[in-house]
Amino acid sequence: MNYHTYSRKTSFSFSYIMLALVIVFLFIPLFVVVFFSFNSTRGMRWEGASLIWYEQLIFNSPSLWTAFKNSLIIALSSSITATAIGSLAAVGIKWYRFRGRSYITTVSYLPMVLPEVIIGISMLIFFSAVRIRLGMFTIFVAHTTFNLPFVFMMVSARLDEFDYSTVEAARDLGANERQTLTKVIIPSIIPAVLSGFLMCITMSLEDFVITFFVSGPGSGTLPLYVYSMIRYGVSPVINALSFVMILGTMVIAFTFRKFLKTVAASS
Amino acid sequence: MKKFLKPHEREHILGTVYGWPMGLWFTLFFTVPLGIIILYSFLKRGLYGGVEWEFSLTAYRQMFNPSFGKVVLRTLWISILSTFICIFLAIPCGYAMAKSKHQTFLLFLIIIPFWTNSLIRVYAWISILSTEGFINNLLIRMGIINQGLKLIYNNGAVVLVLIYMYLPFAILPLFTTIDKFDFSLLDAAHDLGATKLEAIVKVMFPNIRSGLSTAFIFTFIPIFGAYAVPLLVGGKDSTMIGNIIVDQVSKTRNWPLASAFSMVLTLISLVGVFWMLYNGKREQHLQKKTTQQTLEHNIKSHHTHRGKA
Amino acid sequence: MKGVEVTVKRVSRSYGDFKALDDVSVGIQKGEFFSLLGPSGCGKTTLLRIIAGFDYPDSGSVAFDAKDILSLPPEKRQSNTVFQTYALFPHLTVYENIAFPLRLRRVDAKTIDAKVQEYVRLVQLEEHVYKKPSMLSGGQKQRVAIARALINEPSVLLLDEPLSALDAKLRQNLLIELDQIHDKVGITFIYVTHDQSEALSVSDRIAVMNKGKILQIGSPYEIYEAPATRFVAQFIGETNIFSATVLSCEPYEDEYMLCVDVPALKEKVYVTDAEAQQVGSSLDFTVRPEKVRISLNPPRSTNKTLNTFKGVVDEPVYSGFQSKFYVKLETAAETQVKVFKQHTAFLEDGPDIEWKDTVYVSWTAGDGYLVKDTER
Repeated sequence: MNYHTYSRKTSFSFSYIMLALVIVFLFIPLFVVVFFSFNSTRGMRWEGASLIWYEQLIFNSPSLWTAFKNSLIIALSSSITATAIGSLAAVGIKWYRFRGRSYITTVSYLPMVLPEVIIGISMLIFFSAVRIRLGMFTIFVAHTTFNLPFVFMMVSARLDEFDYSTVEAARDLGANERQTLTKVIIPSIIPAVLSGFLMCITMSLEDFVITFFVSGPGSGTLPLYVYSMIRYGVSPVINALSFVMILGTMVIAFTFRKFLKTVAASS
Repeated sequence: MKKFLKPHEREHILGTVYGWPMGLWFTLFFTVPLGIIILYSFLKRGLYGGVEWEFSLTAYRQMFNPSFGKVVLRTLWISILSTFICIFLAIPCGYAMAKSKHQTFLLFLIIIPFWTNSLIRVYAWISILSTEGFINNLLIRMGIINQGLKLIYNNGAVVLVLIYMYLPFAILPLFTTIDKFDFSLLDAAHDLGATKLEAIVKVMFPNIRSGLSTAFIFTFIPIFGAYAVPLLVGGKDSTMIGNIIVDQVSKTRNWPLASAFSMVLTLISLVGVFWMLYNGKREQHLQKKTTQQTLEHNIKSHHTHRGKA
Repeated sequence: MKGVEVTVKRVSRSYGDFKALDDVSVGIQKGEFFSLLGPSGCGKTTLLRIIAGFDYPDSGSVAFDAKDILSLPPEKRQSNTVFQTYALFPHLTVYENIAFPLRLRRVDAKTIDAKVQEYVRLVQLEEHVYKKPSMLSGGQKQRVAIARALINEPSVLLLDEPLSALDAKLRQNLLIELDQIHDKVGITFIYVTHDQSEALSVSDRIAVMNKGKILQIGSPYEIYEAPATRFVAQFIGETNIFSATVLSCEPYEDEYMLCVDVPALKEKVYVTDAEAQQVGSSLDFTVRPEKVRISLNPPRSTNKTLNTFKGVVDEPVYSGFQSKFYVKLETAAETQVKVFKQHTAFLEDGPDIEWKDTVYVSWTAGDGYLVKDTER
């Protein structure tokens, strides 16, 4: 951080105004949505406050809860799988030379940079080619696939700061590979693993495009449910759901951040 | 494992055991599907959907159909326009954030809307822009207009919402690069006679090239391949390449054509990524020159261009 | 604990075209404090890692007490390593770091506690036992690493430049502690360093290495006073070294007196207490700067064995306890002779010899040395 006479002179400059405008721009739509979730009537004319849409949301939306349950199951399963496979891969690729290493490294970054349409369509065509029925399993596979690069990237970044001689020291002192892994490597990368896990859950819960292509009847997730509601037209139930989802995401993020801080502090 | 392994043999085995599970997963669920798409783009379309095992370049020829041409051109100008507006807005934002003392807080503010489900963000704009939406309601109430304006289901709405969705993707890399930028160079530029704007353009911009290219790629590629936004807030004449691909798969069932378009989209994305990586490497190489030299060179070339001593 | 004899026979290791170790052999005795000394890239760390088990030679053998160890992985060898970067486990306390090797072998808690306390006392870290490594200073971290490496009671302790990350004063103190620990524990220490003053002060014997080869093995005194090659002469301490040709060789007292022609000095130089050399052979003549006397007046003795030269002081460098003089010779103006003079008496009016003074430098014939290997 550089504080110079230059910066002090320009405190109300063009850039600060732009930043403020951009932040307002980013938040206004969300405020509108939340605001109108408390509207007493359908439609975007404010007619007084009411919790009616929240009642509708909780008591009158049967498929919502199935979708929510599905989202949770898929988020948890794909995140756990991706975290386990991705973390282990980061360790292997970062430190060891073996055949196929550059191939795996290249491939692992691609899902992050290609448009979601491509990934969704390619998986759809793949599943149909090998005749796997679209459903919870295919969504699980798709989510794990796009989650892996993030875990891999985050654990790799953590390993950059990790002194490899600790692994040699462990071996030198008598540890075999299993002991080295469980007693030395894993405890040191836990913060990155947990961050990766959290990232996977977030991305899995909110994914729409890819899930859209690989889901089958009855296996809808929450975003797919929201999409079908939007197709039916504007309804404040969506607003109510939106507010709940916004709150939920923030709560998850905050608690995990605190949790991560305590984990980081103790290690 | 009682057999003795030399250190590099052991490395080999460990690396394989740790790394290949992910390798297998990606091969099966990413490389193979992509391979199938490449393959399908060169096959003949099946009568009832699917493909027939016959080599054919029909799909690629069909891509040049004028109706598709319109969509491709539209995708291009929408993407370029949206990307440039994003970057144009992101530069002052990144600059202000980098200089600020409340960086973490500002970062948070930028990211929170991003955590919200993307569909909800699109829905928010639908409810604001539609004929019975927030803006129209407000304007009618205030008596400014009698009927709702058509603010949605057109190209403009698509551009607006795309900018809204991808602005954080532009701000974050630029913020990161500008944060690493040494602001005392701007003081030195002042000292050597540059004005504020001159200093920013001649000294800062060349040094944040990697941030600019990252921001460009992370904005342009997703926008170029956008599907949901044009679907939900665009009109019949606002379709983009992403929509073509999906339509060819589900409605027209012309899988080779969908694959051909996917190939083109993938290639463009890959070119973009390599360009970005190349820029990143070049910047590392350039930073080996002293920053002072670059600075003086930039100022001097500006002055000589203006005819000053 | 018992130390073992470490025998390295004809070990070579290459990485592609680069020869890290070239046919290296050395025999390290039981309980010795043995140093591998050399500049970066000379192969000393490679050799240490091969002994530890982290690298494997292309050819040759390594044995502990005549038993080959190359076929054992690092965890099964009787050696333990102290790493340059300490390599402490960041998520464990000092206690758990030191206890780590014992916990691996499922030793019971009581024994672990007793042993850990013993080694904590050995390295004087009693007050820091429950801290995590991030809260320790460099010197403290290194002591934890030493305790952790010793608790397994290895036969050989391998130390890879353990002090290079510490500042000078701390290095000196820790070096003395290491020496004391070595005395207490009695096992073989193999110490890798590029710092020759470290090696000279604590080693029983030193192997000087360069470019993958061992140039000389000897006690610190032998390495310093009787360097085997030009590189060793220049790497250890500072010296004056010139090419020379043997003109004559006569028996003198118990050994020989040689007269050599030194073109750089444009004079003949006499060397006594030397081994016999063939007339006409090419050697390097070297004399350490502290053995050269410098004064404003010519020396009184005219003994044939006293080598005297007249010159002008070029660059005096005062460092408190001594001054370094670079004297340009009158008869050979391109040659400078380095002279170190300790100020053994209080300097009332400042140094007596100053810049541009005409001086006489001299040394007795027994103070010079002839280095045989002029190639390396």
